[in-house]
This record gives sequence, C-alpha cells and structure tokens, in this order.
Amino acid sequence: MSGLLKSGLPASAECRSLLADGSVLTVSATRRPRAGRAEVKCTAPGDARLAERMQEVVRLARHTERRFDSRDQVVIGIDRAPAAGSAGFGRDWELAVVLADRMVRGIWAPRGAVVANGWSDAWHLGRVDGHAVDVPPATLPAALLGGPGGLAHLGQLSGHPDPAAAVSTARAWFPLHAGGIADSLCWVEVGVYPVQGAVHGAVEAPDEEQAIAVPGQDAARQLAVRQALAGARHFDNGQGRTGGVRWRTTVRFGQLHFQGRSFELALVLADRIARGREFLPRGRLIASGQSDAWHAGRVDTVEGIGPKCALLLREAAPGDRILLPQAWQDALPEGFAPGVRALGASLACVERIGII
Amino acid sequence: MLGLFKRATPVADACELGSSAVALPVRSGCTVPPSYPVVIVDERGSTRRAGAAAAKRIELRDGELAYAFHPGPYTVDLLPFAGAPEIGLRTRFAIDAAEPQAAHQRFDLYLSSEVSGRLGLDALTAAMEGTLQRELQEGGLDLPPCASIEEWNAFRLGLNQLLYMRFGVTVDDCVPVDLAGSRDYAAMLAARAVRGDAAVPLLAPVAAPAAPACGVVEPAIADARALRRLFLELPCLMCGLRLAALPATPEQFRQQQALLQRLDLLSVGAGTMPTLGLAAPGQALGAAEQGRRARHSRRATVSLDEAWALLARLKGAAPALLAPLYDEAERIVANLEADCEGRRRTHGIDAAGESEAA
Repeated sequence: MSGLLKSGLPASAECRSLLADGSVLTVSATRRPRAGRAEVKCTAPGDARLAERMQEVVRLARHTERRFDSRDQVVIGIDRAPAAGSAGFGRDWELAVVLADRMVRGIWAPRGAVVANGWSDAWHLGRVDGHAVDVPPATLPAALLGGPGGLAHLGQLSGHPDPAAAVSTARAWFPLHAGGIADSLCWVEVGVYPVQGAVHGAVEAPDEEQAIAVPGQDAARQLAVRQALAGARHFDNGQGRTGGVRWRTTVRFGQLHFQGRSFELALVLADRIARGREFLPRGRLIASGQSDAWHAGRVDTVEGIGPKCALLLREAAPGDRILLPQAWQDALPEGFAPGVRALGASLACVERIGII
Repeated sequence: MLGLFKRATPVADACELGSSAVALPVRSGCTVPPSYPVVIVDERGSTRRAGAAAAKRIELRDGELAYAFHPGPYTVDLLPFAGAPEIGLRTRFAIDAAEPQAAHQRFDLYLSSEVSGRLGLDALTAAMEGTLQRELQEGGLDLPPCASIEEWNAFRLGLNQLLYMRFGVTVDDCVPVDLAGSRDYAAMLAARAVRGDAAVPLLAPVAAPAAPACGVVEPAIADARALRRLFLELPCLMCGLRLAALPATPEQFRQQQALLQRLDLLSVGAGTMPTLGLAAPGQALGAAEQGRRARHSRRATVSLDEAWALLARLKGAAPALLAPLYDEAERIVANLEADCEGRRRTHGIDAAGESEAA
C-alpha cells in the first residue's frame, strides 16, 4: 500500500451486513486527521457497550497489519443496534466493521458494494470463526460469509494461507470469458494438509492423484485437475525432494460451471503457494494459462486475449500479480501493460513455472 | 540509562568468530590479530575503529566497550516469506572495511546501538530476515511469483541497498534455493495440528522481529534498549535523509526541511526522555503504565527500522517516484512523534485505548 498517496485513498467506505430478520445494517467508516485523539472512534445509536465492542474488534483486527499510520483517525458508525440474540447474532456485524476499517484506509479495495457477515473470537490472528445469518447463496452470491467454507481468515481476501492453521489454503484467480458483460474473475482454492503417514513414516501413502479431491465437479474436470496438479508436482520434485505422497489436497472453484482449461495455471500456482513453495504476491494472484506438459513446467497459450485483458484492466487492484502465457507477450493490447502498472499491479508473461 | 550496558564482558570463545559469531566483545588488554577489525564504542555510544597496527593491543578508557568482528564472507539462507518456508534466498554477505569517506560506518552503529554482548550469526540472520520480510510485505521490495529476470535484478538492487542501509553489510551473491531438503512444510503443518493451539502462529508474520525478542525481556531492559536506539540512530537518520533524499521540487525541499526539523526535535526529545519508572521526581509509576511506556518505545524502534528501509529506497529512487516516498517519510515521522509522546506521558489517552490484545 505504500505506493498509494493519501489523496488516492477513499474518504469514506461502507459495508453492509444482514440481520436475522433479513433487514440490512450499514457500517460506514470515514477518516479525519487524528489531532491527538484515539486512532479509532466508534459510534452506535444509543448503545455504548456496542461501540466499545466495535472499537475492540477493530483494534484487535489491526494487529494482523504491519503498517501503522498515526496521522489518521478512523470513525466508524453503525446505523442500528443488532438485537443481542443467541448463536452469535449479536456479533454477526463484526466482519463488516473490520472490512469497513480496511476499506477506508485503502488496505482492501473491493469492487462494488460489500455484504459481510461474520464473527470471531480471535480477530488478532485474523481468523473468522463463523457467521450466524442464513443466506441462500443464490440470492446473494457476493456476500462474504465468515467461517469455514467461506472467509475463514482475513488474508484469504488476497488468497494468502492462514499462518496459524494446520491446513494451508491458498487461492488464485483466473479470468472467465462469458461473452462480454458476464466476464468475471473466478477463484480456485487449493487446500493441502499433511498426510500423517508421510510425517510418521509408517502408514503407506496412497497414490498422488487419489489424494486430490475436487468436490462438486464432473469427472472430466476432476481428471483435468488431478493431472495438472500431479504433473506440476512432479516438475517440482524433479528439482528437489522425491518420496511418497505428502499432502491430501482439496480443490474448490468459485463457480461450479465453466468451460475450458485456462484455470490450470492459477490452479498450479495456488497449489505451489499452499505448499509453501512459491513467492507470495502482495495482493491476489491472477493467472490464465494451460499446459500439456506440466511435468516439464511449461505454460502454453490460451484463447480470449482481448476480452480477458479488458477484464483484467477492470479488476486489477494494487498489489495484484497477473501472469499470462509467454505467447501473449507480443499480442497484448496497446496500453495494457502500462495500464496494469498504473493500477499498482504487476504483470509478467511466463514460459515456465518455478523460480526464475 | 546507558549505565545498563556497562556490565562486565563475558569471556568469549574467539574460535567461533567468523563461523557462528559475527562480532565478539573484547576486553581491555587483549591482543587482536590484524585481520579482525576492532570497533570501540564509548560511553556516549559513538564509535571508532582501532588503528590498523600489525597486532592490536586493545586499550580501553573507562566506560568503553570493544568489539572484534570477522569481515566474512558469511553464507546464510534467508526466508523471504514466512508463509513459504520451502523457498529461500541463499545470500552471501560480507562486512566491508571502513569506508574512508563516511563519517559513520553503518555496521559500527549497528553494533553500538542494537548489540549487547555477542553478535551471533543466527541473530544477525534473523534480524536481516525480519527486515526483508517486512519490506516485501509492505511493498518496498517486490519478489512476485514467476519473477522475470528484470524483476529479479530490481529486487537484488533493492536488497543490496536495504541490507547495507540497515546493517552495513554488503551482499555479494544471492540466489533462490529450494529448501525442501532441510525444511519440511508438511511436518510443520502437522506439528501445528498436533499442538492444536492455533492461537500461537507458528510463523508469526505479525510484528515478528519486535514482539518475541522484546516481549519476554523485562520491560525496563527492553525500554532502555529502545531508547538507546532512538538516541543513537535518529541523528544518523537525519544525516542519511539529507544525503539520500535530494528534493526534486521547491515543495519537496520545504517538505524535507520540515521533516528534518521534526526529526531534530524528536532527537532532542529522545535524549531527555523521563525514566521508565517515575511519574515525577520521587513518585513511582504503576506497572501498567510502565508497560504502556515500554510498548511505545518498542513501537518507536519499529518506526526506526522502517525509516532505514525507506532511506534505502530513497537512495535509488527516480525524481518522479519521490512523492510517495516523502509521504511515507511523513507517516514514519508522525508515528515516531506519536510514540515518543506516548512514552513521555504518565497516563494513556484512555485506559482501554492503550491496552493491547494479548
């Protein structure tokens, strides 16, 4: 974020959260010069204890940030007090408050309106423990829901693994071309956890491809995912360790139905990040590319350069890393590379995966 | 405050110099072979190098400390990302002979302000790793996935500059290495699962260099160390800011002058900081308030680290890119002011506000 001038930051930010009865609560955050006051001020209508808890949550969540700016005070307001009920309903606004605080300081720059529900007992670790509200995914696909299966960790917003969890989960994004207006970025998430046998050296490890699960996808997609990952890991092992299966792997996609194989590069890189074998981008990793030879680490070209580049220019945020096939290097639309750089993202056209 | 560092130096094993130790304290009367440079730190923290005689017999005045160091080269593996333990940077660095032009040798300043007693190679490596990880996280350096050769070269330049500015070491060589042979991420994750206390991050990326090192030490000692750093390093930072950040426009000139003036005031303030344990002469301060004061002084040293890293970035910056760096400098100076102010106060702004998480 250090590349951003203060003038580039938003003056205010809003984040919504759903209540138990289906109505919407709005959290708004603004910045002003600090002038010797506390770094966060929270207001809630007629509820001093709620404001106190809001301040505590924001301060705890800021412990996961490294950069501190004492020049600003952030004022966070909530437009109504949620009814204190059972099962976490009284705390379901916590994630919205944390995200509003990040948005107003430019640490997280989402596109469009944000709806977020979630609570946590360990905000200082960036963990989100769960959510209380029951949202049908069909009506609100963009809602951020805390907890396992949704947003389990604040670093997940940019795809980073949780440094405290025993399961290492990383996300990467890939552009989906669906005919112009419906183009979007879709994420692929790779979660790995160690196979006990590999650690204790006793249990016979299963086959590499058997240990990769792709829930919710058809057989062809499952096969493609398994082959890509097995090939890329083979490429990896060729450079260093050999030996049995070390990981049990789960792969999830943001959307269930899509065509093509251009997700493969994003999948392979998310897998490398999850296994702690790749440099981490500051923001999200966005990649498009496929390969017939992952075992050699090669990246082949994919289709749709025009619409995908246009989509990337719309979606790129500061700190993002964009990786495209080498073949696109000379065919990139005019102004694309400078445009991406102006947004604070970085771009590379790669021939192979791996270090340098 | 400086009296704390006047303790008797332990007997050091000179054989580890150059392998597991980078610098060792030497006592008055010792003879040091000519290949080991000797830094003498006086009572006020200023440093000088002992003369280049064939074999130096160290004669110290009262209150002085001497360190002999081995110039290297040393080869260490730095971890650029806490979250990627199987990939490292094999770095070979050396500590150069004294630069005749420079008034302050950065490595001497590092010895005098941050080292007490022996400087082990592991301690220096950990400090370098922490600096590198923070810069990468904040965007001062960029080492993205599938880095191209130009990106790698830019990173190398930045890394050289950063480590020279912060520690006074010169990087000879740096290559990415696969650490899978020596570090097993799967085993680390399994250990996390077995321990089951997710509350303690294994690879704490948050405030990693500051918290574990100072959190366990008694607050009085940590606070004294932090104040010593402020007292010794602020004048050198001002010097560096004058030299490194040549303003490109009249506005930036004014900005730089204002920054220097504020740093000057901070430097005076650091030299006249009240004792940790006293609210007023003869009036003790409560333990909670002492803890708060120590936290502020610790956070001020984090700002010092950021300031050195910023100087490294300013050094090679194109004039067009100066504006955001000046903004960053203002942020750092503002943080320093806030923390020095907090260190000086006898009570927090509001009791809840200053209390920390853990």
